[in-house]
This record gives sequence, structure tokens and C-alpha cells, in this order.
Amino acid sequence: MLNSFPEILAPAGSLDKLKVAILYGANAVYVGGQKFGLRTAAENFTLDELREGVEFAHSHGAQVYVVLNSFLHDKDLSELPDFVKFLEEIHVNAVIVSDLGVVKTVAKLSKIPIHISTQASTLNVEAAKLWKKMGATRVVVGRELSVKEAGKIKREAEIEVEMFIHGSMCMAYSGHCVISNFTQGRDSNRGGCAHSCRFEYSLDMGLDTQEKKKAYFMSSKDLEGLRILPEFINEGIDSLKIEGRMKSHLYAGTMSKVYSEALAYYKIHGHFLSDDLLLWESELSKVSHRAYTSASLVQKAGAESIFNERENSSDTEWQMVGKVVEANPKTGIVIEVRNAFNQGDEIEILPFVGAAIRLVTLEITDIMLRPVSRTKPSTLVKLPFVDGVEAMQLVRQKVKA
Amino acid sequence: MKITTFAQTLHDLNLIKDQDLDEVILGHKDFSRFGKLKTQDLIQLSQRARELGLKVIFEWDILMTEGVFENVIAALPSLLEHVDILRVQDPGALEWSLANTQKTLQFIAENGNHNIVALQGWIDHAQGRLERIILSIELPKDIIEEYARNLTVPCELLGLGRILLFYTPRQLLSPLYDDQKLYHQELIAIGESEESPHKGFPIVENQHGTFMFHIKDFCLIEYAQELSQRGLHYFRIDLRWSEMTLLKDVLEIFKNANPEKFEAFKLNYKQELMKGYFHVNKTDVLFPKLKNHRLQNREGNYLGEVIEAEKGSHLAIQIKNPLGLKASDSLKIVHPKGEEFSVKIYSLKNLALEEVEFVGPHQTAIIQFVGGVWVKSHVFLEKELATNL
Repeated sequence: MLNSFPEILAPAGSLDKLKVAILYGANAVYVGGQKFGLRTAAENFTLDELREGVEFAHSHGAQVYVVLNSFLHDKDLSELPDFVKFLEEIHVNAVIVSDLGVVKTVAKLSKIPIHISTQASTLNVEAAKLWKKMGATRVVVGRELSVKEAGKIKREAEIEVEMFIHGSMCMAYSGHCVISNFTQGRDSNRGGCAHSCRFEYSLDMGLDTQEKKKAYFMSSKDLEGLRILPEFINEGIDSLKIEGRMKSHLYAGTMSKVYSEALAYYKIHGHFLSDDLLLWESELSKVSHRAYTSASLVQKAGAESIFNERENSSDTEWQMVGKVVEANPKTGIVIEVRNAFNQGDEIEILPFVGAAIRLVTLEITDIMLRPVSRTKPSTLVKLPFVDGVEAMQLVRQKVKA
Repeated sequence: MKITTFAQTLHDLNLIKDQDLDEVILGHKDFSRFGKLKTQDLIQLSQRARELGLKVIFEWDILMTEGVFENVIAALPSLLEHVDILRVQDPGALEWSLANTQKTLQFIAENGNHNIVALQGWIDHAQGRLERIILSIELPKDIIEEYARNLTVPCELLGLGRILLFYTPRQLLSPLYDDQKLYHQELIAIGESEESPHKGFPIVENQHGTFMFHIKDFCLIEYAQELSQRGLHYFRIDLRWSEMTLLKDVLEIFKNANPEKFEAFKLNYKQELMKGYFHVNKTDVLFPKLKNHRLQNREGNYLGEVIEAEKGSHLAIQIKNPLGLKASDSLKIVHPKGEEFSVKIYSLKNLALEEVEFVGPHQTAIIQFVGGVWVKSHVFLEKELATNL
């Protein structure tokens, strides 16, 4: 099906994050099972969780795509058929695949739609045509493409096109980096990437001086395409993907909320000339990130797209302090605390739709109703009930200097 | 097993002919990642190669965004008559070549493609037009043999040459130079990182982007005879970063498998050498250590997770199982470090602190504290387990 408006496709590294992403507005989520994906270190989904996740998504009108995007060795491939049959049985909406062996296996054993992963580096019309002949219904194009190039691929190859709109980026062509394989003994294309591109390197550039240049020269800034949203729509891109199955609940929720609200605005107004744009950008800045770039979405990524800073040097002033576990007038708001906050602090609860609910935490108790002046991570606390607050909503706070 | 290699000059061609090889790979600067030949140079080399009786393989191994692809295919037709075989890597190049040329094709399947279903899939897609497939250097020898014997076209493997680790279309070195005129010139650097045990990665930036190589070169020439016996058809010798004059030495070792000569060759070769995963590929064995597998068991009778544990007071359990938790249930709680606790519930409350008989899914249950249990411990319904068994 070719959509007139793109879907917002969010990452879900766990069942909990799947629910968060969908409740905050994602039209679809992509998830990984315990094998065959590229995020070996992520919590990922058990079979029971996959089943529950699909049921939850479908009951909320959302779709679930399962990543099978490792480049599998023969022994891995032999374990795939049972999983494919299971995925068809629970009615996942698509699988995301890089490896032709996996494409062939899925096509032979099921009728599950096949999306070609960005790991396959589909970069041009001819490549998309090839994958369509192989049985794919969609290509997740390489992050080296502009929106216009992706639009051309959609029109000329007559295949659904998915593009990344937000998140961390490989500097290398995806699927074409084997640094981890040969330096750490971990197959990056089977989920073992050690992120060597984020290291600082000392470079002997053959200059006359003996001085070596130190640089994080292979580290890319993060992709951010909010202002380009109208271009994605005009080019008929089918799906806008947010990177980040390893990232936090706050990330999954905020990204789903911002991009879905921005898209909804465009659907209604047909333009993007809104003060809300600044608000959405402000929301994006409240989640941990490297400096943002539009990378190659408009023109080929240049020097300004290189992050060239130490990892963890995110400049966000906000952090997630918890998640609402339960909220009703009888019990109050129960928060599972992730980062400590104090009595009297201002916190924000992010509703599924609309502006953040600001609260000053005048009254905090533990769940045994004893007063708390400073909360602790990995505990539950109660606040007085406020209208609009529901379970699964995320709580954040501006970090004080 | 036959040898294939690259030529960049007329002198290279003569060296190749001296070794009685019957083909040569030519790299045009606009089509090949490391090709340096301009169109006229390529035509001249191609003519000379054909005069020498060499088949000319045209290397088209760059990955191409749509804009690059349009430019490249506009320039290709004028070159086609001068080459015998197209050697492609981008699936788009394969598809275009199948539809728009009559040329015989070779497909570079060096990235991924670690299963026979994928490899045979590429061959089948080409419907008889593929004359060779180039295998990944990450494959161990047993697998190479299996593929060489079972795939329906001949297989080629790198025998000697650099190991490409990283390929991006972005220019990463030139921004580090002050002179902006250096853009689109070939730049070379040597990199090392305190976070990596390996020092001295060669890095190249050219018009196609930036490439980083391993500090050691890949070398299987001491195993050439073995690979030949295992059925491999072609062995590629890539001396573009080294000395083409070494071709003669390589061929001597290839033909005679002389260990002393190989040791001497290693001493003279300017890079250290490695065999990669020729004997065994265990690049997935570390994966189980990347996360706590005690916390991965969430199937079947998994009830939920401890989200608060207050010593002497209570445990709060987030219920994730659709069955919920009954006051009469028995539990098994597994600490993240693996310790297990059997628990009979004697106090069950909801978050309103009401004594209840049942707490439903997606709610939080409060039970008595259990010594040794901490947050993130996993909780299982022991009674359900017994029933299931």
C-alpha cells in the first residue's frame, strides 16, 4: 500500500518501550527478537512479549515490524524457519531484512511482507528494483540519500520507501563496516558493533610537522529532520523511521510524540508555519543526543556533519526522572523513579498528547505514605493526583547546574 | 585455481603477462573505489591487455547514491566496448548491467553474504550472466570449500591485499586540513586510538569518500595449494598498495608452496600479515556476554519484575503476565546475579495499600519483603510452573 502521508516508525527495544512509543503516537514500531537482529545487547523481545506487543499494537491501530537484519551465517540461517513461522502466526506486519538468504527464507516460508533494511545500503533506483524482484515490498534506503533521491526511488521502482528522519547514524555505509569484526572479534553485522567509529583517533597526516591531529573524525552527528518533514511528505515517502532501539523510554516517547504531532499538524494545516515548530524542536532538545545535523537529507553530508567530540558530551539539560506506574484519584500518581528529584522541584509529566504538565513536587511520599524529601532511583513514590496524568507517561526534569 | 590481479600501468600489464596470467582487473577512477585510471588511460591499458591475450575485467565496486548512479551510467557506455567483463558490487549496478548490457558479470559478495542461500540467490538472479562470485574474507576454509564446490559459478577469494574495514561517502580527512583545496584529492593518513589495541590504521580519502584499512594485510598465499584442493577457483592478489614486482614472488610461493620462501616474503612485505578467520570464525562467541542472560528468561510462567524492594518492609512487583497474581500463588524470584528464592505470599496489597486477593496484569503488587531480593529481580509463578510441568 502506498500511503499519502508517511507513518511514524519508532524504535522499541523492549515491550515497555513498544507501549510507550505507541501511546505517544507512533504509527508503527520495529522490534527485535532474541536472535537475528543487530542489537544483541538490547533487552529485545521474548516470544511471549512479541505476541503481547503485536496484540497491543494492533489494538491501538499500530503496526509491528520485526528486525531480522543480521547478515546470517549458514548455521544461524538454519535456526530461522521456526521463528518466521511464529512471526506469521502472531501476525506481525513485516520483517526487516538485510541478507538475501533471509529474504529467500522468509519468502519461501511465509507471506510476511519483507522490508529491506538500511543495512543493505539500497541507494539507487536499480537496487530498489532488484529487491522488489526478490520479493520486497519496501526498502529502507541508505542514510546517504537525499529525500529527493528517495522520492525518485519510490516513483521509479514503484516500491514503498522508508527513510530515517531522526537518530544516531553510522558514518560508514551501513553493512559495510567491519571494524569490530577485525579489531574486537565481534561481528558488527550480527549485532556486535563496538562503536569504534566513536573513538578518538590520533592521525599522522604526513604533514611536515611531527604533530599528530587528534579527532573523533569518524563520529557522525545525530540525524534530525523535523523541518524537512514537508519534503518527505511531498516526495511521498511512506515511512519515517526513528533510530534507537537501545535508547531510553524518554527517547522513544518524546520522538514518537514530537514527530506524530508535527505530522498531524501538517495533515490539518497543509503547511508547517507554526510556532509549534519551535516547541517541537525544544522537545527534541530535551532528550540526550549528539549535535544534530540534517546529514544528506537535503544535500550530501559535509564536514559540518562530523560530530568530532567525545561520546557522552550530550548537551541536553533534561533527564528522565521516572515513569508513571499508576495514576488515579484514589492512589494518586505513583512514579517509578529512575533519577532522583527533591521535594519542591519542578518536574514535567509528558502527556500522550499536548503540552507537558508541570508540577511542583510539594508533597512526596513513599508508597507506604511516609514523607520523602529526596527520592531515590529504583523506588516508587506517590504524588497527589492531577488530571490528565496516566500510567506509562514519562516524567522529566531540567537538570540543575 | 587461477590468479587474478590488478594493473594500473603498462608496466603492471607486462609483469602480469610474464606470470602467464590470463586476466587483469582495471579500475577507472570514477567507478572503482581505488581506481586511478582516467578514461583514456583505461582504454590504452585495455587495448594493450587484449593484445597480450588478457581478459579485461572492469571493476565497478563503488556504492552509488541515485545522483552518483545517474552520472556513472552516463559515462559507462563509452567504456563498455573496451572491457570484457563487468565486476560489480552495488546491487543497483548488478541490476542495471543485467538490463542494459550484454556483458558477462562478476558479483562482489564480500560484505555479508555468509550463507549459501544468499550467494546462490545472487547467482540465480543473474540468470546465467554471472561468471564468478567474489566471496567474503570472513569465511573459514571449510565454508569456502562448501561454497566453491556447491555454488553454480566459480568462486574467488582475496589471497593477498588490504582488509577494508570502513567505507563512507563522506570526506573525513580533508576537513582536518587547513587547505580547503585538498578536497577531492587523494589524502592518506595513519590512525591510532587509545581505545583500540591496534595501532596504525591506513586511512584514505578520495573522490568516493573515506576508507579505513586494517593495520595488517590479509594473506592466504601459504594456503593457496590447500584452497586449490578445496575447490576454490580464483585467488586475487591485490598489490595496489604494495609493489607490483612482488607478483613474481607470490606466484612462486603459490606454485611451489615453499615455507622458506614464504617466510622470506613476509620479511620483505612492508605490512604485517594476517589470516583473518581462515581457520575459524567465532565473531559471535562474545555475544552472550553482552547482556545478563539471567534477565533474558521472561517466557512462560514469568510474572513480572521487582521495581521496589524495601528491606524489612515490602517488595513491589510490576505484573506483566496476563494471569496476574493471586494471594494464594507461590513465587520463584531470580536475583540479577542468579540467586533464586522460593516465596509463599502471605501479604498481597495493591498500590492503594488495600489487602487484595488478586492483582491484575499491568498493575503493581505489594508483597512482603524477601531478604536478598533486589530491584530488577525477575519473578516467576512457581505454581504455574508446576502445572505446566
